[in-house]
Amino acid sequence: MRPASFEYHKAADIEDAVRLLAEFGDEGRPIAGGQSLVPMMNLRLARPGHLVDINALALDKIEFDGGVMRVGALVRHERYAGDPRIAEHFPALLDAVHWIGHPTIRRHGSIGGSLSHADPTAELPAAAVLYDATMIVRSLEGERRIAAADFFESAYVTALQPGDLLVAVEFPIPPANSTGSFMEIGERRGDFAIASVGAAIEFEGGVITKAAIVCCGADLVAIRAPDIEAFLIGKPLAAPPAKEAGAMFAAEVEPSSDHVAGAEYKTALIGELTQRAVEAACARALERK
Amino acid sequence: MVQAENPRHIGARVLRFEDDRLLSGAARYLDDIVRPNMLHLSLVRAQVAHATILGIDSSGLEDIGFPTQVFTAEDLGGLAIKAHQDYPQMQYSEQPVLASGKMRFVGEPVVAVLADDPYKAEDAAELVFVDYDPLPVVGTMDQAQDPSLPTLFDGWKSNVIVEREMKGGDLDKARAEAAHVIRRTYSTQRQAGVPMECRGVVAEYNPSDRVLTVWSSTQFPHIVRTCLSEVLGWPESRLRVIAPDVGGGFGVKGQVYVEEVLVAWLAVKTGRPVKWVEDRREHLMASIHARDHLHVLEAYVSADGRLLGLTADVTVDNGAYSTYPFSSAGEPGMVGKVLPGPYDFQAYHAVYRAVATNKCSIGTYRGVARPSAVFSQERLMDDIAEELGLDPIEFRLKNIIRKFPYKNVLGFSYDEGSYAESLEKMRDLLAADRAEAEASKNSKTRRVGVGIACFIEQTAHGTPDFIRRRVPIETGYIAARVEMEPDGQAIVDLGMQNHGQGLETTMAQVAADALGIEPKDVFVRHGDTLMTPYSVGTWGSRGAALGGGAVHTAATQLADKLRAIAAHLLQAKAEDIVLGGGKASLKTDAGRFVEIRRLARIALRNADQMPEGMVPGLEASFSQDGPADGTYSNAVHAAVVEIDVPTGKMKLRRFVVVEDCGVVLNPMIADGQVRGGVVQGIGSAMLEHFVYDAECQPLTTSFADYLMPQAPEIPSIEVHHIVTPTPLTPLGAKGMGEGGAIGPAAAIANAVSDALDVQVTSTPLNGNAIWKLSAGLRDA
Amino acid sequence: MTNITLEVNGTTKVLEVEPRRLLADVLRHEFGFSGVHIGCAHGACGCCTVHIDGVPRLSCLTFAVQCEGKAIQTVEGLGGPNAEHALQQAFKSEHGLQCGYCTPGFIMTLAPFVGEMAAQKRMPDEDEIREAMSGNVCRCTGYHGIVAAVRKAIGDQLAEGGK
Repeated sequence: MRPASFEYHKAADIEDAVRLLAEFGDEGRPIAGGQSLVPMMNLRLARPGHLVDINALALDKIEFDGGVMRVGALVRHERYAGDPRIAEHFPALLDAVHWIGHPTIRRHGSIGGSLSHADPTAELPAAAVLYDATMIVRSLEGERRIAAADFFESAYVTALQPGDLLVAVEFPIPPANSTGSFMEIGERRGDFAIASVGAAIEFEGGVITKAAIVCCGADLVAIRAPDIEAFLIGKPLAAPPAKEAGAMFAAEVEPSSDHVAGAEYKTALIGELTQRAVEAACARALERK
Repeated sequence: MVQAENPRHIGARVLRFEDDRLLSGAARYLDDIVRPNMLHLSLVRAQVAHATILGIDSSGLEDIGFPTQVFTAEDLGGLAIKAHQDYPQMQYSEQPVLASGKMRFVGEPVVAVLADDPYKAEDAAELVFVDYDPLPVVGTMDQAQDPSLPTLFDGWKSNVIVEREMKGGDLDKARAEAAHVIRRTYSTQRQAGVPMECRGVVAEYNPSDRVLTVWSSTQFPHIVRTCLSEVLGWPESRLRVIAPDVGGGFGVKGQVYVEEVLVAWLAVKTGRPVKWVEDRREHLMASIHARDHLHVLEAYVSADGRLLGLTADVTVDNGAYSTYPFSSAGEPGMVGKVLPGPYDFQAYHAVYRAVATNKCSIGTYRGVARPSAVFSQERLMDDIAEELGLDPIEFRLKNIIRKFPYKNVLGFSYDEGSYAESLEKMRDLLAADRAEAEASKNSKTRRVGVGIACFIEQTAHGTPDFIRRRVPIETGYIAARVEMEPDGQAIVDLGMQNHGQGLETTMAQVAADALGIEPKDVFVRHGDTLMTPYSVGTWGSRGAALGGGAVHTAATQLADKLRAIAAHLLQAKAEDIVLGGGKASLKTDAGRFVEIRRLARIALRNADQMPEGMVPGLEASFSQDGPADGTYSNAVHAAVVEIDVPTGKMKLRRFVVVEDCGVVLNPMIADGQVRGGVVQGIGSAMLEHFVYDAECQPLTTSFADYLMPQAPEIPSIEVHHIVTPTPLTPLGAKGMGEGGAIGPAAAIANAVSDALDVQVTSTPLNGNAIWKLSAGLRDA
Repeated sequence: MTNITLEVNGTTKVLEVEPRRLLADVLRHEFGFSGVHIGCAHGACGCCTVHIDGVPRLSCLTFAVQCEGKAIQTVEGLGGPNAEHALQQAFKSEHGLQCGYCTPGFIMTLAPFVGEMAAQKRMPDEDEIREAMSGNVCRCTGYHGIVAAVRKAIGDQLAEGGK
């Protein structure tokens, strides 16, 4: 179980990286932490002819600026836990990251790698979809901005084209009266989720004014639930119709069965986790006031 | 039983001698073996489960740019491993070393490709194509018994490999007297064993002494040697098999595999050393699998809750081949043998069969069929108790065997044990948890459950047990040779192989006690057929009982000689001499002594100082066979679970073991064996499932899909010992290496049943399963 | 083939390697540090954990060519031929190993954790200890002795620090 041959290039900066990626086209892949890519290569499921190592690129900052949190593509998963701004503004993201893999993976895995890999049940793609993040993509042609809603096309398939490099993810900073929660069920602590649900809410005067719900496990990508989000608007924080929201979502989804979990189970989990995520978000909101 | 004279080291928590080299990275496992001019083997394996092989095309290698060699079944001339049970009920088959004519499971080796390094070998293997014609797949137990589907082997009447029965007593009487008849069907899923080190083989033929040396990550080098000798037609005297440091075995490395034969053959054929290191995907798909049982049990119970009789119908999904040396008959036969368990009843009939399917073959993984048998036995006991409205522990105590020796319904004799005592002790340990479980019945969302499993384990079985089986393993003895050097240091050459059990320490403790020296002065060697006496290797929970027995007996022979020399020097009688602390001293006057190393030097060098008539030398060997029916350990396992009903998420809060394996050689090591086995058992109960799809394509071929327990899922495992020495082995020790893995599935299933008030009939109890089982609670 | 300079356990070598050579293989074969073990080659078991610039990393998911200019340490470098690191000795006294195959990976993963706890002058609770080793699989010990070894190593360091 060793990879097929490839050529290795270490990019010095972004310009160097996009030039190399353009040169190699669909034979080229960027490598950051390698936590998702290299297993695929060792199993010979991925066989890029050229690896472009981007670890030297200056893409590892988390910046809060102009209403946006800009996370560099090389920010490693373990970084979020230590940043109080994230706990304050993006608690659902913090919850989600808690479920990623295990310590060594959290240390070396990057948001760029995770989003590019686009595993259907991965936590960071779910967080990006929940918070309506925008992916900042560079190529020889310049910079492109892709909304999370358009970025994840299918399981392991994104809108990235050969020659593209994801350089940052921008999360619009929610207003002060906001909070959220993320719930996940998997077989073991660090496993891929069987199902997960995240909720992000804004509130005013004791009621929900805006809601976002994301779910993994229902489809080949993380999905939002616009009708449930609309349903929650105007509902009281102290008594949110969380169970009903869960039942609504469960009625909508059609997950597929796999060897670990059947469709019925996943559906039930989605309903239950929706209820718990909404309840937890509202409880956090009440604590903040 | 001959007890060690002054046991000072037996029973002590001696730290392990093997640890320093394992901790420092100095240990040498199979992939650390490098031979000059070595070739690397990569195997082209079957990608479909059942097909006729039409041809093999390796023309793609012509332009590959580096040297390669390719071999197929044609080149091997019919080399195959034969593991047949010599009864008319078993249909005959062989496993070809490379698939010949047909492919019978995904992962079966078809073509051998050699290159100068493993990366290149894998590149080359990718360019070899097997042309085939698919055949209908036999994928389930039902399909294996469907006459419209093809048989896996030409000439077979059906895909039932073997079907036999065991019975005893008067079942008609039991049925007639029964006030209750309880019939249940139980199943346990297919799984893999997964030692952390995969398999591997290196072979090298040396023309200067005409010795073929085979290194293999194996648990039983002598058995490998004999099998290779038979298959290859190579004299055993010129075949040396070496097990280096082995990274876990668990019985998975207690089969002889086609890859071992193949690598040896390739080394001779090519004239160069050949190495094969299994990768994890190959291991999961193509080593051995385990469990995969379906049991239909029927119990006959009196009005006052006494078990009167039991019938069982047992089916094992065996996969394609009969594995060497225990054969396909081994797994179902074991269930038939052990279902009577620790309970006092005398009417029994079991029919058991192994069926062939297009899957990886079943082999002997820790516990060997008993985890499945005890699952059924103990689920049934709880189900009966439930039906009769009896407390599960009280019901067991009503039926538990209390008088020893006990001759069970099949004629097996159980030696003294603490069956009732361990149940009572467990009852006390669980009192608070049981109260909490009861109180949780008020909740529909969070339930606590307590479940137990009470079982016995036949260990260290002797030759008569194997003869009955009529398979290629005819005995179970362990041999050891002990020698002492002129400096008073001892060497034990042990016919067992150490892969985690601490034999380099426990056997040193045994020898040290007999010889009167320190364990650190005993060097235990193992794994190399060149220097260790012929023996069956490490499996079947016999290390302490039989390995220790052999070492003790051989060392005692040496000790007798040392005492005789000391007596001569001290002008006393040999029976008045005691060995200890490096000295041979008078029992009545410790101040009069001779140092043991001086005695050793005399025995080997200063022969003039020996007593008249004594022959120089300080070496003794012994082969310790097991008692005819083995010796029976007993244990009770208990699980306390907490279930989040809406999500099916189950937390294992507490796991308790009360166990009795007789005399314990080293409590630290014994506890480690129990805990390790328990966690594997927890994996079997909750997580580990090897899955095939309808075409017998494996779906769980990496650790991303084949899930094993990791530290956060496991509670601290509590272990309590009761010691009932057995009169049947020299040290009073019983076997205990597998017991930990036998009980957890039953205990956890019983805990789930308790928590949710439902019957549990199968494993694994993963999230989906728990959620389904709690449907009644959620709907209510 | 690429020329690289690698520093492992204080020894520097110039090597010519294919880019696809895993760091684990180079450490084992070119450097002879057989204490690096491969359990799965897809990052799911932790056996191959080494330190790169002091940080645990899976060497089966790292290409040797990526490690130019970095300081690599394997278990051989951590405690030397006599396994003298406090955590190694704690594994021995608490029976944290049986077959030893996963052991170097656990040691390399947990040694920094022990150091961090000692620096923070606190004993973590059981959940935190088990979380720290959640990426390492052991089939022999049931994790019990490993948890005990971590506690012992931290406890010994806290006691020493208190003096």
